[in-house]
Amino acid sequence: MRRSLYIFLLSLSVLSATAQEDIFDLLDEESESAQYTYATFKGTKLLNGQTNETPGQGVLQYIISHRFGSFTDEYLYNFFGLDNAHIRMQLDYGLSDRLNMGIGRSSVLKTSDVFVKYRALRQKTGANPFPLSLTLYSALNYRGARFTDGIDHNNSDRLSYHHQAVFARKFNERFSLLLAPSVVHWNLVPGPEDPNDTYHLLIGGRYKLNKRIALTSEYAFSSNRRYGSGATEVRFHNPMSVGVDIETGGHVFQFHLSNTRAMSDPLWMAQNPYNAENGSLFLGFNISRVFTVDQ
Amino acid sequence: MKNILLTVLLVSSTFVSAQQYLTREARLNFDAGSPLEDIEAFTESGSAVYDATTGKIGVQVLMTSFQFKRALMQEHFNENYVESEKFPKASFKGTYSEGNVTGGLTIHGVTKEIRVPARLNKESGNFILVTSFDITLADFDVKIPSAVANKISKTASIQVQATLKNISK
Repeated sequence: MRRSLYIFLLSLSVLSATAQEDIFDLLDEESESAQYTYATFKGTKLLNGQTNETPGQGVLQYIISHRFGSFTDEYLYNFFGLDNAHIRMQLDYGLSDRLNMGIGRSSVLKTSDVFVKYRALRQKTGANPFPLSLTLYSALNYRGARFTDGIDHNNSDRLSYHHQAVFARKFNERFSLLLAPSVVHWNLVPGPEDPNDTYHLLIGGRYKLNKRIALTSEYAFSSNRRYGSGATEVRFHNPMSVGVDIETGGHVFQFHLSNTRAMSDPLWMAQNPYNAENGSLFLGFNISRVFTVDQ
Repeated sequence: MKNILLTVLLVSSTFVSAQQYLTREARLNFDAGSPLEDIEAFTESGSAVYDATTGKIGVQVLMTSFQFKRALMQEHFNENYVESEKFPKASFKGTYSEGNVTGGLTIHGVTKEIRVPARLNKESGNFILVTSFDITLADFDVKIPSAVANKISKTASIQVQATLKNISK
């Protein structure tokens, strides 16, 4: 009996001692609030393709992109390809932290585009963790360039579409990866055998070297590698690019080397005629600037 | 005899916890702005605890819970300045006595002993904690690139407001 008394007294003192020490442990029993993963990628675009990121609510973003001439095309005569630059400009706005809309204009085939991007799912930790982010992206592209085939075309012949689901995961503060299944639809294709719909799988990643500089890379597989056959055959090559992201405050500079020149999605993804193995490589950059319009 | 002891045990344990106060909705603000740039953020999901018997007091906050007016500033705060991935929480653990709190303030993985004035008043069974103090960012190894050095204040003023409720209620 006396022994059990001691045990009880002992446990009592232990209990009261722990109850006092535990006061700071109570801090660690965090509230259930979700912590969304931030900055999976630096930009809303990785190189040519989209990332899961959108500008925040009330943020206006301007992106100017250039793709220079090929290394194989009189490189020095053309001042490292700068004389043959293609350009794309983009202006987009964050309607909410999830919804983003924008317009763009590319010089290749004088293509105008309008797009909408929506963050459907966000990677998060906390009480209900979720392992990845999903952003949906849709773009409508309008070919402004005149047709040279002598046929009277409808306006709808100028349209193409691109729909994409961007699955992204930030594995740690340095490494992020994305997988983006895509479908491209052309209202007009060269021949009856040529598919109007082509399917693509984009793989991209980034590795941060330090707080402001990251290496990026991107590759897309395609369901269709040619249009036409025989003499009229045009072969397409899977787009691939490597680049570096440099972030300075409100700007993100993205410099890269790729085998693509067009910047509207259907063209670079589904109809890229350049073969890296033949030396068709191009330097290019995207520069983004954000303005907080509405706080 | 056993039953008596058990009762004593239970009573004493509730007695101990009855002196502990807690909130998960502490409001924290900070301001590290300069005449060139407003840099302000707040959160309303800080945790605070107080043990009225021992005087121990603690406050803890998740860095990613701070809300900024600008999304990009919030991203930079987490990614480049306080490195929330590496150091997710800031905390204060110390004691309250006679209008001051004394203890270790941990931000960005660096702990520094501080002693700052604080009000801790009991109102209708709750403790209201109010404090406001300045910290020097360099003390906590928060690096500011020279390009933006004139936009960010070298000190940040921090305000804490919390209503701590008795745990046993």
